[in-house]
Amino acid sequence: MTFRSKLFWVFTIALLLSVGVIAAGVTVVARRAFDDLNRQHSEALVAQFEGEFQRRGQDVVHRVQGIADAEGTVRMAIDLSRPKSDVSVYVNDARGVSQSHQLDFLDFVATDGAIISSNEWPARFGYKMDWLTQSQDWSSLGSFLLKVDTQDGPALGLMAVSSVRVGDRDLFIMGGERLGKDFLNSLVLPAGMRALLYLDLDPAFQPTNLVDASGPVADGDRLASFIEQERQQPQERTFEISWTADPASAEAFHALPLLGRQKELLGVLLVGSSQQEVVKLEQHIRDLALAVVAMGLCFGLLLSWWGAARVTRPVRKLAEGAREVSEGNWGARVDVHGRHEIGQLATAFNRMTTQLTEQREQLVQAERVAAWRELARRLAHELKNPLFPLQTTVENLQRAKDQSPEQFEEVFRESTGILLSEIEHLKNIVGRFSDFAKMPQPELGPVNVNDVVRGVVKLFEAQFSAMGRPPISTELHLEEDLPLIQADAALLHRAIENLVLNAMDAMPAGGVLMLRTTHESGYVDLEVSDTGGGLTPEECERLFTPYYTTKQHGTGLGLAIVQSVVSDHGGRISVESETGVGTSFHIRLPAKPPARPSYMHSQDLTAPSAAEHSEAIPPETPPNEGA
Amino acid sequence: MKLQLCLFLAVISLALLCAGRVETSRRPRYGGTVRVEIGAVVHSLDPAGAPADAAEAAAREEIGALLYDQRNPDGTFVGVAGSGAFHIAEWEPGKQLTLAANENYRGGRAFVDSIDIEMGRASKDRLLDLEVGKTDFAEIPPEEARRASERGVRVSTSKPEVLVALVFVAGRRIAEDAHAREALARSIDRAAIVNFILQKEGEPAGGLLPQWSNGTAFLFSTATDAAGAKDLWSQIGGSPRIVLGYDSGDSLGQAIAERIAVNARDAGIGLSAEPIASPAASSPKYDARLVRLRMTSFHPRDALSSFQSALAPMAGLDAPPLPVAASSEQIYERERTIVNGCRVVPLVWLPRVYGLGARVRNWKAPAAGEGWPFADVWLEQESQ
Repeated sequence: MTFRSKLFWVFTIALLLSVGVIAAGVTVVARRAFDDLNRQHSEALVAQFEGEFQRRGQDVVHRVQGIADAEGTVRMAIDLSRPKSDVSVYVNDARGVSQSHQLDFLDFVATDGAIISSNEWPARFGYKMDWLTQSQDWSSLGSFLLKVDTQDGPALGLMAVSSVRVGDRDLFIMGGERLGKDFLNSLVLPAGMRALLYLDLDPAFQPTNLVDASGPVADGDRLASFIEQERQQPQERTFEISWTADPASAEAFHALPLLGRQKELLGVLLVGSSQQEVVKLEQHIRDLALAVVAMGLCFGLLLSWWGAARVTRPVRKLAEGAREVSEGNWGARVDVHGRHEIGQLATAFNRMTTQLTEQREQLVQAERVAAWRELARRLAHELKNPLFPLQTTVENLQRAKDQSPEQFEEVFRESTGILLSEIEHLKNIVGRFSDFAKMPQPELGPVNVNDVVRGVVKLFEAQFSAMGRPPISTELHLEEDLPLIQADAALLHRAIENLVLNAMDAMPAGGVLMLRTTHESGYVDLEVSDTGGGLTPEECERLFTPYYTTKQHGTGLGLAIVQSVVSDHGGRISVESETGVGTSFHIRLPAKPPARPSYMHSQDLTAPSAAEHSEAIPPETPPNEGA
Repeated sequence: MKLQLCLFLAVISLALLCAGRVETSRRPRYGGTVRVEIGAVVHSLDPAGAPADAAEAAAREEIGALLYDQRNPDGTFVGVAGSGAFHIAEWEPGKQLTLAANENYRGGRAFVDSIDIEMGRASKDRLLDLEVGKTDFAEIPPEEARRASERGVRVSTSKPEVLVALVFVAGRRIAEDAHAREALARSIDRAAIVNFILQKEGEPAGGLLPQWSNGTAFLFSTATDAAGAKDLWSQIGGSPRIVLGYDSGDSLGQAIAERIAVNARDAGIGLSAEPIASPAASSPKYDARLVRLRMTSFHPRDALSSFQSALAPMAGLDAPPLPVAASSEQIYERERTIVNGCRVVPLVWLPRVYGLGARVRNWKAPAAGEGWPFADVWLEQESQ
């Protein structure tokens, strides 16, 4: 993952977390506020209901008392107090009286509890309401809730009882109002709230008994479990219900049990608060948070881009500079300004590359001087050997002419022969140097390394077992499915030939020459081993230096040529040697040589190549070291 | 002593003299129109046509008795309309009927010239019209009789001759359960119906004939047996519910049905009272019905026969017709058989109650099977 991506995700996650925390906090606060508001509304509505309940109760008490005090009722009581009174005369009176006093329920009840006349159930005359005769002080009781039997079934009534006493006989007047949707209609409800009333009139929950201001509640059976809890244990409680899968349909209820005279449950008032607003608010908060997050993502993207421009650009430049240095461009510089850490790093990088360049130039100078010295030494050494016979021969000629003219002719012939031989020797030396200087650029083509190895071995087969020298046996371990590589077969042949010659020179007492080819992931490996005397580590260090040799008559150019060929093919060469055991050269060649980098060409102008050395060798430089 | 005897004789003579003067002043007079208001709406006077409801049937019976001179043995009218004491003068079906006196009536011309009958008047309006003298004659529901009397209206009450009975509809599953029928019959408090709903205008009915007819009504129990009813009902499997129908325009029927529902509930019997909007559409839904049966004859055999023939289709009674010369014992046995089957549950006997205007004279309450006796009624001349 790039630094820019990391920066982007850091910004985004930080933004998401902060927005999420804020949104959650606002949601919690809003919900608490709504809950508090709903609770206050519910409490206000319950208080309103209780107030309305009390007011209506008082009203019912007054109206029932008014009926009891009416002249007609008193006359009825007087009439009924007589021994053989006829109660049937009054059987229809309750209807008219209840209508005039606007009561839903009205019963005239005799002193023995028998119903004389009933408005809510006219046909129920004669039946007993014994409980009515048990209390003696109805006036102090006020209003109360009662399950009233009517012709259409049980109903819940807000009732009051009064009595007219004549002699020792009572006439009870029980009247009241029906508690139902009309009562709920009289309540003033805030927006989003509603009041439901469950009339506990049946042994089990009945959805039709749950009414609101407009009548039976649709889906009332959804509240069955909560009503059942209230029936089991009447107490104020709150609960929430979702009418549909939509969270906005949720409604919080406050349940208030309505008890009768004997503290029995007769009804349940349910104050419902729609959760639609709070759900909408939560949705808005969520939407807002999502919008903020979306904007935050965009902002994070821009910020990360900007941040990357500010932070990663110098870092990228530094990385680019480092890559150039790794590729050999030691003069790479990073154009970063600023006094911050990155700027200081860039300054240090530039300083480092400057120093590297300077040190490399110093090193090149040193190596060039060393190469010149080595070249001079080799040239001096090579040229000194033929020059000495030349000098001696010329001195012999001079001496023969001066001292023995008669022999001069013979000496002259002999000396010119020597001179020609040594001059030829000199020409050979110069030719070898010239050949090294004329190392051609490889002409690439598909080459099977095994074929090249076999060709070289075949070339030297006769010499391996030549008369007069200890035999050298060869071992070829050539991988059959070796891939073709792009190479110059002639140069490769020459390099392997040099290695084989070196190996032969290293085994004057005979031995085993082993050649092995393998391949691995686009590279072909060649190993040439001998069982000669081996090399010291110091010799291994300098082995590929031009004009360095460990042999008495070597030019020091063989392995340099090998390294040059391998290098021109984009490969590498290394050596392993152990004194007394033998030496192994490892060559790794790519199947396809890389393009020759430009700085290599430029380096050629200054690098101590053999050609340049050969051309630049001062003729008078004395050889101070010999191999 | 002689003086006291002389004073006594003098007082007697004076009283007789005064009485004779009064009688002299109330001699029948001819002429005038009797204004009649009835609650029923009569759409047709054709004896062969079916009445829309029981009220129309009763009104047609009364009017037919004025128009026709003779009846068939089954009680239907025979002959030509107008052969009776009156004939039709004007006829506006459903609203108004004017009958004029038949000058050639073999029983003699009626005292009044005509009778104006206004139909479809509500009972409270009829009572009010009687009080203000706007009408001379009006039907009064039995349950209103006492109130009308207390309000100063002249009330004429016949003998109890209209039977209100609960009839189980043959073929209904619950109606075919003898335990259910008997349970309901036992649960009904007839005395309460008479005393409270009818305001004591009527009698509890245990049999199909009133006590004054055959003299055997007292042998039929009218007592309530809620415990027995509950016991019988508990023997019925499941929890059936009886639907009791009553004529939608019959307020008395509604009150009785609702009282029966209360009694049934007290005995643990599920029963709902529902109005029957149209008699034709009644049968599929109702397990039982409240019916009113008017005696077409004061003779017990004829009355019972007519009841039997009227109830047979609905209740599924399959008893053979009574012999023409059936004895009282046979009549009682037949009555007992029908009542014990509980397919017909007699409830109460109702009288025919009429309110009379102040100028109506010579009114005699009609006997069972008789119509309005307007042929003998005359009107007092109104004082100027």
